[in-house]
Amino acid sequence: MVAPPDNDVLWARSLHHSHNGSPALSGVSLGVREGEILAVSGARGSGKTTLLRCLSGQLVPKEGEVWFNSTAVHTMPPMQRERLRRDRFGWIDSDPVLVPELNTWENAALPMLLRGSSRRAAKAAAMEWLERLDIGMCARKRPHALLQSQRQRVAIARALVSTPSVLFADEPTAPLYAADRSQVLRTLTTAARSHRITVVLATLDDEVATLADRTVVLVDGRRVGALRPAEAEGQAACSLSV
Amino acid sequence: MLALRLARGSHPLVLLRRLLVAAASAGVGFLLLCTLGWAMNHPAGSVLRLLWCVLPLAATVQFAVAAARTDPSTRPRPGLSAVGLGPAQLTALAAASTTLSCTLGSVVALLFFLHLRGDLTGLPFDGAASDLLGAGQPLPLAAALTLLAVVPVLAFLATGFALRPRKSRLVDDADPERPATPKPAPSGLPWGVALTAAGLAVETYASRGGSEAPLPLPGRFEGSPAGVLAGWSLTALGLALAGPGIAHLCGRLLQMLRPGATRLLAGRVLMDEAARIGRPLGVVCAVVSGGFAAAALYGPGDPRPFGPLTGLGATLIVGCTVATLLTAVLEARHARTETTAALVRVGAPTGLLRTAAALRAGALLAVFGPLTWLIAALAAVPLTG
Repeated sequence: MVAPPDNDVLWARSLHHSHNGSPALSGVSLGVREGEILAVSGARGSGKTTLLRCLSGQLVPKEGEVWFNSTAVHTMPPMQRERLRRDRFGWIDSDPVLVPELNTWENAALPMLLRGSSRRAAKAAAMEWLERLDIGMCARKRPHALLQSQRQRVAIARALVSTPSVLFADEPTAPLYAADRSQVLRTLTTAARSHRITVVLATLDDEVATLADRTVVLVDGRRVGALRPAEAEGQAACSLSV
Repeated sequence: MLALRLARGSHPLVLLRRLLVAAASAGVGFLLLCTLGWAMNHPAGSVLRLLWCVLPLAATVQFAVAAARTDPSTRPRPGLSAVGLGPAQLTALAAASTTLSCTLGSVVALLFFLHLRGDLTGLPFDGAASDLLGAGQPLPLAAALTLLAVVPVLAFLATGFALRPRKSRLVDDADPERPATPKPAPSGLPWGVALTAAGLAVETYASRGGSEAPLPLPGRFEGSPAGVLAGWSLTALGLALAGPGIAHLCGRLLQMLRPGATRLLAGRVLMDEAARIGRPLGVVCAVVSGGFAAAALYGPGDPRPFGPLTGLGATLIVGCTVATLLTAVLEARHARTETTAALVRVGAPTGLLRTAAALRAGALLAVFGPLTWLIAALAAVPLTG
């Protein structure tokens, strides 16, 4: 195994994956630089979610390597990957899946509570992020009493509260109206830039391209468009016929 | 036919649940037929035996409904409403498959009964119980069929009623993005406590009464058994009513006083699941304390010993109530699948989720165990004293 380039916080090399035989990724390579906002775009079913799940250690790719800060994620045992996800990564779903039994601030503070920080510190951090995302007034409501856009903002606060190294957002604006969508995207990117959080953003939205530093386009599980030389080396197998 | 076709493709655990329903139905059918056989030889006093069959019957129907509720093939499926598997059709399907399992059980019971009676030959234990089951007399066909139809018909009605398409259910299904509105805190606790206390009081009072009794109990019992049984039913009803409230209270206590992630998740989830788990838990509690009381009643040197049919009935009651509780736990777990997956994505360690589940179980055991023992002790005082 070759160690990745130093300036990339996250690095993937010729990832192949299939779900029970139906192909999802076939030979995707990419590098994510520290503090950058990388958009992954492509039609539905082009492998965006699978790519994000592989990068965040939820899935182990069938072939290929994933490196995070010079540690190999694809060879880690499950417990260690779980700890990595909890301590260094954040995740935002396309649907805001909150714990229905907890109220808003408890949902937002959950990652900090899971890391074992004190209740007071977790609450302070959660309230700060909720205020910043304009939902401080809903802190004591349960998820069922919130609007969909408010729930999505709670999910974003939950992902940001522990200031992760890398934040993965899987179509975070999919269930929202256009006005909510741009607001959510702007708050997300602003927060990421002000805290130097690296963001990998899967999206169908063209607006994201203007907010992101770079855009990677997936088509049928393959990356299209220009490649950096460092990323091209793993792709010798799929060159001429495409 | 659709019910059969769906049953063929379902998960082994689902099939096992249906098989258990069929087995319970077979047990109850056999008990009812035995009562019929006994009644052919002893026309007087057999109504009482028939009445005792009501308890296993109720437990079996409760289990059948719980199994139908957990059945994945009866869960609303958003995509399949368009091809005709809407809410009403799913209810009909659930009722049909429950009836199917129960009818299967009844047929097995009939065959087994005829076999033990000696009407069907060629297998071991031919006519092993021919004296007990009224062999030598022709079996009244209409009576036997009526008794055998009791379980399937009741299960059909109860399943159809429990799973009928209700407005709230439909609204929840129509909006998959919106989290389900939490159920209000169970309100049955005061009623449950009052009924339990009243039942115990009635039982204690009745146990001092006269000895010439319409409903003889086994053992050296001197009081008025009808009053005792009425008191007992009240106590059991009270426990079933109080169960959700007590479970909710357990959850509330668990998440009090600055909880960390484990206690917070365990307590809140228990508070939310109380309505689902509390009732079967209360019923199990009542059955177990009833078992203790019955054990106190059946002393050594009893003139009316613990027979095989009593044993079958007791096994049915205990087995069905415990199976209902386990099914309810499974249902609660299924309802939380998505949230659990989201927690894992956030990075919640699976160990923490297991600890939370163990904490919930421990809290319930710590409260319901002593409660069961207390009720059993209080119920046994007038019987043995």
